[in-house]
Amino acid sequence: MLIFFGKRVKTMFKKLLVANRGEIAIRIMRSAQELGIKTVAIYEETDKTAMHIMRADEAVCIGSGPRRDYLNIERVIQAAQSSQAEAIHPGYGFLAENPAFAKQCTEAGLVFVGPPPEVIIDMGSKVIARRVMSEAGIPVIPGTRVLPPGEEGKEMASAFAEVHRFPIMVKAVAGGGGRGIRVAQNMSELTRFIEIGRSEAKMAFGNDEVYLEKGLNNPRHIEVQILADGHGNVIHLGTRNCSIQRRHQKMIEMAPAFLPQDVSNKICDTAVRAARASNYLSAGTVEFLLDQDDNYYFLEVNTRIQVEHTVTEMITGLDIVREQILVATGLPLSISQNELCFRGTSIELRITAEDPKSNFMPNPGLIEIYQSPGGHGVRIDGAVYQGYEIPRYYDSMLCKLTVYAYTWQEAVDRLRRCLDGFLIAGVKTTIPYYKQIVADPDFINRNFDTSYIETHPQLLDYQEEVPPMGKLAGLVAEINAYEFNPYSE
Amino acid sequence: MANRQRVTPQMPAGEILDFLRHTPGVFLTNNERDVSQSDFKCRIMPQTTLKVAPYRDSAGYFGFEILGGATVHLDLMKKQINPFEKLRLVRKAMPNTLIQGLCRGRNLFGYRPYPDNVIEMTVRLFSKYIDIWRMYDFLNYIPNLVVAAKAVRDAGKILMPCLCFSTGAGHTDDFYVQKAEEVISLLGEDIILCIKNHSALGSPARIAELVRAIRKRFPDLLIAYHGHNTDGNDLGRLMAAVQEGAKLVEVADHGYGGIYSQAPALSVVQNLHEYGFKTPGLHIAPLLDASSHFQGFDPTVKRHKLPGGALSLALEQAEKAGLMERAHEVFSELIEVRKELGNIWVVTPGSQILWSTALGNVINGRYEKPSDDLKGLLLGRYGRFPFYEPPQWIFEKVLERGRTDGKKWDEILAGEAGLQELADEDLKARRFQLESQIKRPATDEELCLFVQFPRDALDFIKFEERFGQTWLLPPDVWFHKGGFRDGARISFADEAGKTHNIDLISTRRTADSVQTSFLVDYQFQTHTTKIAKNEK
Repeated sequence: MLIFFGKRVKTMFKKLLVANRGEIAIRIMRSAQELGIKTVAIYEETDKTAMHIMRADEAVCIGSGPRRDYLNIERVIQAAQSSQAEAIHPGYGFLAENPAFAKQCTEAGLVFVGPPPEVIIDMGSKVIARRVMSEAGIPVIPGTRVLPPGEEGKEMASAFAEVHRFPIMVKAVAGGGGRGIRVAQNMSELTRFIEIGRSEAKMAFGNDEVYLEKGLNNPRHIEVQILADGHGNVIHLGTRNCSIQRRHQKMIEMAPAFLPQDVSNKICDTAVRAARASNYLSAGTVEFLLDQDDNYYFLEVNTRIQVEHTVTEMITGLDIVREQILVATGLPLSISQNELCFRGTSIELRITAEDPKSNFMPNPGLIEIYQSPGGHGVRIDGAVYQGYEIPRYYDSMLCKLTVYAYTWQEAVDRLRRCLDGFLIAGVKTTIPYYKQIVADPDFINRNFDTSYIETHPQLLDYQEEVPPMGKLAGLVAEINAYEFNPYSE
Repeated sequence: MANRQRVTPQMPAGEILDFLRHTPGVFLTNNERDVSQSDFKCRIMPQTTLKVAPYRDSAGYFGFEILGGATVHLDLMKKQINPFEKLRLVRKAMPNTLIQGLCRGRNLFGYRPYPDNVIEMTVRLFSKYIDIWRMYDFLNYIPNLVVAAKAVRDAGKILMPCLCFSTGAGHTDDFYVQKAEEVISLLGEDIILCIKNHSALGSPARIAELVRAIRKRFPDLLIAYHGHNTDGNDLGRLMAAVQEGAKLVEVADHGYGGIYSQAPALSVVQNLHEYGFKTPGLHIAPLLDASSHFQGFDPTVKRHKLPGGALSLALEQAEKAGLMERAHEVFSELIEVRKELGNIWVVTPGSQILWSTALGNVINGRYEKPSDDLKGLLLGRYGRFPFYEPPQWIFEKVLERGRTDGKKWDEILAGEAGLQELADEDLKARRFQLESQIKRPATDEELCLFVQFPRDALDFIKFEERFGQTWLLPPDVWFHKGGFRDGARISFADEAGKTHNIDLISTRRTADSVQTSFLVDYQFQTHTTKIAKNEK
């Protein structure tokens, strides 16, 4: 029995399996462990040195990998059963938005920490989601239903283009996280992208359905974090601006979104209405696009914890994963909308082992040196350690750097200080690229939208920095190898 | 100005010269550049310079020469430090002392004339750090100083043109006074005229006579004396110059002053004081702190006349050629060659031409394989022979060697002799060439070094990118012989004063590579060095 806000409530489960890896697995384990819940990590053989295994109370190897076992519903559920876990948290990615997984967890008697499968189904289908929102009176970007195959689909696309003009986005019904989107600027591109989009969607999501949406010119990507419990409470945790994206993948996120107060209020109220309209439960994100005149349109709902949830946690002080677990147990949210207050600014960067100069190609390898910054207003959600060999099979995230400050300028200053405070050797990272961004006047003046990365190619004009002492050690190594200094003779 | 004891780099050049003119006493310039070049094959490492810099700065020297001569090239080739970086560090460590550089006129820091735009760029960029430009032409051909001198004026720096001094036929007071007139006529009176006695020639009486003659003609001219203690008697010459009115003399740190470089500072100061000359602003305690021990003297310089800087490098060259046991032959040949080639001053690039000719003559037979530089000297590429021309047979042998057109020496002279007009360097093209090699934008300083020393500058830039600021490594690491033992610790401070440690953990040697494991600032690192078979 758990005593919660002075009330006797349901029995909290004792063991939680985290069906994920990397930083999000560790982040979930932290909240669970604070609640006194034991944690179980799963891993593939190819991922056996991952840090999340070290942070868990128990670990189960679910297969030889790579990647396929993390996506294998049966094996994950078996791991939960064999370790006697009572609940599963899916994190983000992998099985997080797979309704079959949520359904089978429930059927196996496991608590799924997230929304029920029917919500995932509805919101996962972009077309159904748009219809639900439209019926609830929420503005949606003009779009089509699922395009029928063959000539009929082409005719529908042509008619849509005639009315709404280009650019037009071709989107996979089952897509998300920036995947499965192409932007056509003319009719021949549109025809081609529909075909390509179908075959890519089939391969990536097992579903080849696509639909069209009117593209907005350089919109901002704004989203609202929501929380909903099984007692009818739905609250929003304010806005985030995730406009800085590279090929629809978010790179930098911040909270709040710095919108005019009336626009912010309207968007947040709309997000709560959207959550109610979809019978939402647990944590989720309602995403919008804002045009240049602050008109907003519903984009999609993400039925999972998101990478960028940390910025919201920083400005609200709330632990979103803890709330997810409490809601999954059947408890009400621990805070009401009126009790919630927002303070300051938070910015988060995704620091990855990628080479920005080589089109952000992943750069797996041995992390020879790893030192991270700290101090006031700094949060690191990391998943690597010195001596860790980053496997080439998984995403290249090293850590998320989230800073909090009272003002935007202070947050940018802190970000710069933190980026200078990293010492990572052995792999190329996105840190030098982020250093360019935090020094860029447009970023400093919050003058950016979704075209920012594309319109600032000069951000790539930086020199690689190797730690100076590491370079010197290289010369000492040569003197040692040759038994004299080959550069002094 | 009345209460001022020393000049500072912040003062305008004119004010500094006025201070020198109107302040009673004698000023000292510490010439580490020449000490390093003359006595240490240019191998005094930046760490040593920086270690004693605070003492030198407190000692109250008028100037500190740290750049010029062979050092720019040697910094790139053997010490792997960017000369600009070195100057920046010295400037930072010696904020109160004027920094001096030596330039070979049109030949800058190299061995051949450079185009005007390269000279202008070089003086402009180095003037960021150099306050006093000491410059000379090895044939005392003063027009060769004009372009560089104008660039010095444009940069607002102090100009110190030199008269290269030697002895023998033609080296008379009249000659040198006429040269001083030429200097003043071409470069103006706002200068310090330096008597450059690079080979420690002449007696104290000879130097006294020379200074007296120049001062008689130009009573208000500021005169500096730059000598070498190669024969052990520069103190005498220096004192003689001062007694005749020289205001500025060049010295070595007391303990460094040795075989081929300047007179020891402390002895100079003691002598000056004993003879009643004040040394304004000079402090003895820090002057002593900067010193340490060194070598002896070389009286044979009177005959071969090689300057200290060239002598040490020439001996190194002879050693590499396996000719050390025949060194006496080369020196004897050098004496002959100098006489035959017009008894010119044995200073760069003349010293290199004379030495390599002597060396080649010993190896290959007399003038059998003349260098292009020797041909250039005979063709007047550097200027005219000031006293007499070499004998006809040398012209014949050298100029006709390797000609395929069958032209005779007098035809060659008639058609090709004289100073060559050098077209401006295409700096844009050179920048493109450099940047395509280093695959990034080049700085102006890098370009400046590249146009003068294309291969060595490029090698250095690549070295620096790979290994960083290696001047931070203590000299005993830089010159380390043998492998490091397990557990060895290399400890040093960086420019910001922060301590760093490189701890050697282990060495694993295989057939073709060596793996060295370290704790670098307590972080584990492994470096693998591939070694070609012939390098082991």
